[in-house]
Amino acid sequence: MVGHGGPVAEMITTHDLGKTYGGRAVVEGLDLRVPKGCVYGFLGPNGSGKSTTMKMLLSLVRPTTGEIRIMGRPMRRSTRRELLGHIGSLIESPPAYGHLTGRENMRLVQRLLELNDDQVVRAVHTVRLHDHLDKRVRDYSLGMKQRLGIAMALAREPRLLILDEPTNGLDPAGIDEIRRLLKQLADGGITVMVSSHLLDEIDRTATVLGILGNGRMLFQGTRDQLLARSTPDVLIDTPEPQRAAALTAQWHPTRVDGEAVRLSGLDHKGTAGVVSRLVRDGIDIYGVRRDAQSLEDVFMDLTGGRGL
Amino acid sequence: MGSVRAEFLKLKRSLSWAVVVLLPLMAVITGAANTVVSGGRLEDGWHTLWLRVVIFYGLFPLAIGVAALASLVWRVEHHGGNWNALMGRHVSSLHVVIGKVAVLAVLAAAMQTVLVVGVVVVGKLVFALPGVLPAPYFLVSVVIVLACLPVAALQSGLSMLMRSFAAPVAVALLGAIGGVVLLMTRLEVLAVVVPYGLLGRATQLGTGMFVDSGTVTTGAVAAVVVAALSLTAVVVAGTAAILDRLDIR
Ligand SMILES: Nc1ncnc2c1ncn2[C@@H]1O[C@H](COP(=O)(O)OP(=O)(O)OP(=O)(O)O)[C@@H](O)[C@H]1O
Ligand SMILES: [Mg+2]
Repeated sequence: MVGHGGPVAEMITTHDLGKTYGGRAVVEGLDLRVPKGCVYGFLGPNGSGKSTTMKMLLSLVRPTTGEIRIMGRPMRRSTRRELLGHIGSLIESPPAYGHLTGRENMRLVQRLLELNDDQVVRAVHTVRLHDHLDKRVRDYSLGMKQRLGIAMALAREPRLLILDEPTNGLDPAGIDEIRRLLKQLADGGITVMVSSHLLDEIDRTATVLGILGNGRMLFQGTRDQLLARSTPDVLIDTPEPQRAAALTAQWHPTRVDGEAVRLSGLDHKGTAGVVSRLVRDGIDIYGVRRDAQSLEDVFMDLTGGRGL
Repeated sequence: MGSVRAEFLKLKRSLSWAVVVLLPLMAVITGAANTVVSGGRLEDGWHTLWLRVVIFYGLFPLAIGVAALASLVWRVEHHGGNWNALMGRHVSSLHVVIGKVAVLAVLAAAMQTVLVVGVVVVGKLVFALPGVLPAPYFLVSVVIVLACLPVAALQSGLSMLMRSFAAPVAVALLGAIGGVVLLMTRLEVLAVVVPYGLLGRATQLGTGMFVDSGTVTTGAVAAVVVAALSLTAVVVAGTAAILDRLDIR
């Protein structure tokens, strides 16, 4: 919340943000809250509206509904310029001019944003591209293009970095490198918003997660809050799993899982009810336990299995 | 202005330079070849040579060349995430548009320089004409470059909006045809407010062709210059306003 006259705790907030293309709402009713200094993992399956949302945050695309505040100030076409001076971004595919070398591309950004040599050198070193600057960008690997894109976004020393799927097309080592880089930037006080359709990629770096599905926010909060939100399956070990499953399937979603029966969405009371019913029907029960659930399962649940 | 200086960096290793050199050379060579084939006589010396080169050049090739240059300078922006990066910085839409038009202005000036040098070289070496090209044609050359600006601004706007390379060039061809029609029907006032017509008109200064009187008059030059500068300002402002409202895809 915004304190009276105090500093704003959020880097980005949106209220009822939405975008309609040709009568179809691709983003709807979005209330984003990106705290200052965090790594915000923006997750969602393909086509869920991540890029569209990020483009609205940068005022590249004009929202159909709602409003955006960045650093407490409204972000619109008329105000975008002063705010964009504090934001570095990389949206969809990496920028850069293929007919120019990495160095020439960096010089271009330097001229455009009136940066000094130090800022450029530091950005290039941060992404460890200094040995590849004299090659034309069209001859770069995808990973090198991504890193150059990040260097171009970093050179202006932004307070907010918006990166759309920066790990797209990278090998595991490259992904790990980006992960470490984001962590390092956040430690340096930069707020990072990073999107991905792979939870695994940003799970360990992100301190706050926002999960998008079909243009709507399905979840927003910390990793622990996300885990706490869902109820793991109940597993009942029994010598007669088939007979037990036939019985419980009348009231709860049931699946036979080896020597056990798996029941979804069961709370404590429901569990007790099922157990006493099975006992009454003369089915032996060797054990009842909750399944260990990964963040990935929760994400799959939320996005209806389209996630990963 | 950083955005203009940055634009010039993008010209390195660009195909634009090939257009800048080849198009006017082609016009010079065609004009000279026509003269040689038809007996090699230049009745009125430099004036005839200029006329043979520049009239046809001004009717179609010049507008198409400027359109191709506009497509080339925008083409790089339609690749990868360049549009997003371009508009995701604190550079204003007006500066983005001015940057492109400034680059096109320099390319147009270079193109006209190649044309003038080509005419002088051919005049001296092939036809052994006395002296050099008369002074008024240097003035006319400056006016031609200025008259390229509205076409450059308009084509730049089209190439900004269209990813296609050929479509804006086709528009220029249609525009040039329209301009010729206006000039042939002697609708000078109308021709001068249509960028393609204005460009044709500028290349005819001092030639006595179409609506021209045959001498370079202050009135004719002033009309073209004023029209060129005002049209450019209007088109640039309009393009910037469109860009400001545009959703980047
Ligand atoms: N300019 C546009 N015109 C029409 N529809 C669009 C436009 N841009 C995006 N869309 C649609 O909006 C939806 C969301 O697209 P968006 O690119 O934001 O998704 P995303 O989450 O970034 O997907 P991905 O993971 O594939 O990058 C898609 O169905 C897409 O087809
Ligand atoms: Mg996307």
